[in-house]
Amino acid sequence: MKRCLVIDLDRCSGCDSCVVACKHENGIDLGNYWNRVVAVGPTGTFSDIEQYWLPVQCQQCENPQCVHVCPTGASYRDEKTGIVLVDKDKCIGCQYCMMACPYGVRVLNEKTKVVEKCTLCSHLTADGSGVPACVHNCCCGARYYGDLDDPESDASKAVAAALAKDSESVHHLPDPGDSHPATVYILSKKTAEWKGLV
Amino acid sequence: MQETTWTRRSFVQAAALAGAAAAIGVSMPNSFVETDPAYADEPVETKVVKTSCHGCIQMCPARAYIENGVVVKLEGDPDAPVSRGSLCLKGLNQLHTMYSPRRVLHPLKRAGQRGENKWEVISWDEALDLAAEQITSTIDKYGPYSFFASVGGGGSYSFMEAMTLPMAFGSPTVFEPGCAQCYLPRYAMAKYMYGGNDQSIADNAVQEIFKVEDNKADTVVLWGAQPSVSQTAESGRGMAELRAKGVKTIVVDPNFSPDAQKADVWLPVRPGTDTGLLLCWFRYIFENKLYNEQFTKFWTNLPFLIDPDTKLPVKAEELFDDFVSPTPANTPAYVCLDASTGEPKPFVFSLPEDAEVDPEIFATVEIDGKQYKSAGQIYKEEADPWTLERTAENCWLQADKIEEAIKLYTSASVAGIANGVASDMTESASQVPLGCMGLDAIMGYVDIPGCTMTQYGTGVVANPVSRPVTYHNGFDGMFSDMYGCGAVVGLSDEENAERIASFDPAVQEQFGGLLLDRLGMKDHKGLYTWCHSHIPTVREAIATGEPFKPRVWFDMSGNKLAMLGNAKSWYEVFPEIDFIIGQYPMLTSFHVEAADLVFPVREWLEEPMVNMTQLNTQWLQNECVHIGETVSHSIPAAQVIERCKEKWGGTMPGLVPGYIGSATEAEVKASVAATLQAPGWDELVANTDKYVPYVIPPEDYWHYKQYETIVDDGLPAGFGTESRKFEVYCTLLLKMARTGYPFCYPFEQEACEDYSPICTYIEPAESPLDDDEYPFVLTSGRVPYFHHGTMRHAAFARELFPTAEIRINTRTAAELGIEHMDWVKVSSRRGEVHARAYLTEGVAPRTVWMERFWNPECYDESQPNKTAGWRECNVNVLTKNDAPFNEVFGSYTNRGFTVKIEKSEKPSNVWVEPHEFEPFMPTLQGEPQTKDVF
Repeated sequence: MKRCLVIDLDRCSGCDSCVVACKHENGIDLGNYWNRVVAVGPTGTFSDIEQYWLPVQCQQCENPQCVHVCPTGASYRDEKTGIVLVDKDKCIGCQYCMMACPYGVRVLNEKTKVVEKCTLCSHLTADGSGVPACVHNCCCGARYYGDLDDPESDASKAVAAALAKDSESVHHLPDPGDSHPATVYILSKKTAEWKGLV
Repeated sequence: MQETTWTRRSFVQAAALAGAAAAIGVSMPNSFVETDPAYADEPVETKVVKTSCHGCIQMCPARAYIENGVVVKLEGDPDAPVSRGSLCLKGLNQLHTMYSPRRVLHPLKRAGQRGENKWEVISWDEALDLAAEQITSTIDKYGPYSFFASVGGGGSYSFMEAMTLPMAFGSPTVFEPGCAQCYLPRYAMAKYMYGGNDQSIADNAVQEIFKVEDNKADTVVLWGAQPSVSQTAESGRGMAELRAKGVKTIVVDPNFSPDAQKADVWLPVRPGTDTGLLLCWFRYIFENKLYNEQFTKFWTNLPFLIDPDTKLPVKAEELFDDFVSPTPANTPAYVCLDASTGEPKPFVFSLPEDAEVDPEIFATVEIDGKQYKSAGQIYKEEADPWTLERTAENCWLQADKIEEAIKLYTSASVAGIANGVASDMTESASQVPLGCMGLDAIMGYVDIPGCTMTQYGTGVVANPVSRPVTYHNGFDGMFSDMYGCGAVVGLSDEENAERIASFDPAVQEQFGGLLLDRLGMKDHKGLYTWCHSHIPTVREAIATGEPFKPRVWFDMSGNKLAMLGNAKSWYEVFPEIDFIIGQYPMLTSFHVEAADLVFPVREWLEEPMVNMTQLNTQWLQNECVHIGETVSHSIPAAQVIERCKEKWGGTMPGLVPGYIGSATEAEVKASVAATLQAPGWDELVANTDKYVPYVIPPEDYWHYKQYETIVDDGLPAGFGTESRKFEVYCTLLLKMARTGYPFCYPFEQEACEDYSPICTYIEPAESPLDDDEYPFVLTSGRVPYFHHGTMRHAAFARELFPTAEIRINTRTAAELGIEHMDWVKVSSRRGEVHARAYLTEGVAPRTVWMERFWNPECYDESQPNKTAGWRECNVNVLTKNDAPFNEVFGSYTNRGFTVKIEKSEKPSNVWVEPHEFEPFMPTLQGEPQTKDVF
């Protein structure tokens, strides 16, 4: 199973509602984020410019660096779901994982001194029925959640539809450390050139 | 299947809830809580309640998760047809504002001096008595005109209440910072031009393009609108769905908004010069014969010959002595140049196929030595200078992009312009809607599937059975029918005279007096449409006492100092006002600086209401919880009126019925239940799913081509104008300027200069073309985090967008030595404020863009040198509230004025770091649930 997000950047308008939905849902402190939306651009010179918005959160890597460097086994990839998680009982707050993560999507909870990250709202989605709060409330219908190994999942269907329309519109974030990020971004050239940035 | 994630934060709370959650089939939020065995034993009652957000005007359907009487989670309702489960951060952050430590839960009486922010909690009884004592004694001493009311713009709760409250006291004075600066011009121009719905997406007038089934939209023009930012979850979502379906979009916006980023063509027009671009579109379309010839000839008034002396269309009787009109008196025959004979001929109203003439759209004819031009010819001549090249140069655009946009718009199977708020905030407030609706009309993009101007619903405008007419005093002319002033456009003179004679002359006289005496009406008669006063004239009256002095103020909304143009000019007149009453869920800069008494009102999670509708569905805003002594928005004024009435021995000095607004929660609830077709409130909330949404069957809701429908006089319906045509040349504006017709009828308001019946070019009064001292032109718009003055006390909004930003072109900033996120001082001829520089190529080198802002942290307890938070970052310290105004509506200039920019420092009271917003985090979840106060 490879549960993750698929995010359609041809739809995303950068409204930050996914960020706030996540913060309320997961009770995240001020200053901490499990997801952020990055403005990529505008690039070019006025008025010949383009821009897209890049929501960034845990990429649910298949070969996660954060797991490799964790000295206590607190960071792990759930074999059943493919979701990368933190067992907070085991986490000692050493923050190696935060340094190892190529995408900067882990944060230290200053109160509990453990590292936290996107769980794909496991408390809502564990039984396979719900979707993460960021997906539910997304104001552009740009976020899809599901198992990429299941062709019938929302996530797989979104990728298949994007590929059918434009074979060059499906992207992953750059993968400097052979991490195999599972999260998929859809961006067609009509909106903007994929910059491969985080 | 149960796959859980075991962490040090455990599922203890979720486990305790398991029974309740399972029963309603939901999972609970915030389940990762610290293990606390004691907590796990507490019984938890949980429910999920259907409601609607009120974070902006569109009111998306939402679901509230309530745990032991506390709302713990909000999410969009997936059953909503347009928002489809989306809920934006303004809605989500109600979790903070509902329980904000800044909430006002009890009536407050000012304890210190104005500006000191010192308050005494008093009882409702004392508060009502204080308000009534102040109002009655002032009116007894100075007369009814000493009272005035105000309210906030769209999305504020008390629009009708503020409009009618002064009527009850016999005063003509009410204003709101929106109105002439937000929506009134577009709403009103649609009524004047064709009697139908306008082109505003935000205000829910445009619905057709968001249809889920059978959507025929092909090309949408967003003209000065950014739905993805302003109404993110509803029309923003709608635009995302449209684009995903391949609908083409053109965006006219000086700023590279999210909608501009995804547009097929983006036209970053120089702020305030949209009229030039519109005339360019007209010129190109006329020149290349791209207009819909049949619609323009037979359904618009452009072929009518115009009398050069009166500027009005000539009636057939005036030129042809023996002409007898075959149509009723309410449907005059005009004159056109007939192409088949080359002669001027009577142009009798009929279906195109029954017409006896082939009208020329563009014509100049001489009759008896007098030269007449057709309205189309007049428009063509006005547009003639606006070539692609000249427009590009004047409006800072590229000629090829303008041409590409026009071609996309004109070659579409169907297109429509969605005209946003931008132009309302400029001197061109009437001219831009004239142009935008005029363009759609000459293209025939009216009342057809997929365009923006359609008539829907179950009312008579959407389903005409007789000659369409348009009422003009208040919404749907309600005040015309209540008080007997105002002609009905579409009735003949005789029919209007007969109708008006049926009203009580005493009431008519009283209402007419208020109309004639209303401040600023001589010059800006379009304000009559919403019965509002001209804001700068009100300010002037307060300052000078001329022609009368408003002395007691009842405001029903938020931060006037953040919303009114040239805020400092208002601050300066506060000492002239004897007593100021406010009502709001929190204390804003305005309340700190001005209010003497504040009534506590409900947040949207507490207040029963019906939402704005999404397509053919209507939804409930539920009473999810209720804390403190807060009341629904209509109640304070209604209760104050009752108290005043007691003091006056049972009578009121104003109109009857006067105030329109419920006095008790029971009345509020009954009215909500009735609207949703439920037998009563208790039944409605007990069986919400049965009544919500209230759905009008699609076949009863969507209607097209009504103008062709044959009605009871045997003629096609046409439109609700005097000519029964779509008046691209808006004759009503001329009659209005001269006498106040139709609003003041049977009385007459003093004449002013004629209003332009067509779009004409207006160069902004402060122009970057010739301003050496203030070289940049500033415009503004929303960011997704806030609606109007709201949410600046929501910590999760502020940590993401902590303070005002001004978007400056990267190269311009380099010349000024300004780097990204540097603090800068922005100055206009009115004042100066501070903001962080956001460097971008998304604005032109001499355009800057800034959202309005205010800073409630400035008077936080923790601040050593408190201020009221409206001078630091507030764009409305800069805006221009003096002449020239828009001629019809008196709109002043919130956008498109000049500024200068220099490096500066952060104002000391302004917070920018996330942890600084800790004092805004919610604290009131422990407040007990309370019963209705009234």
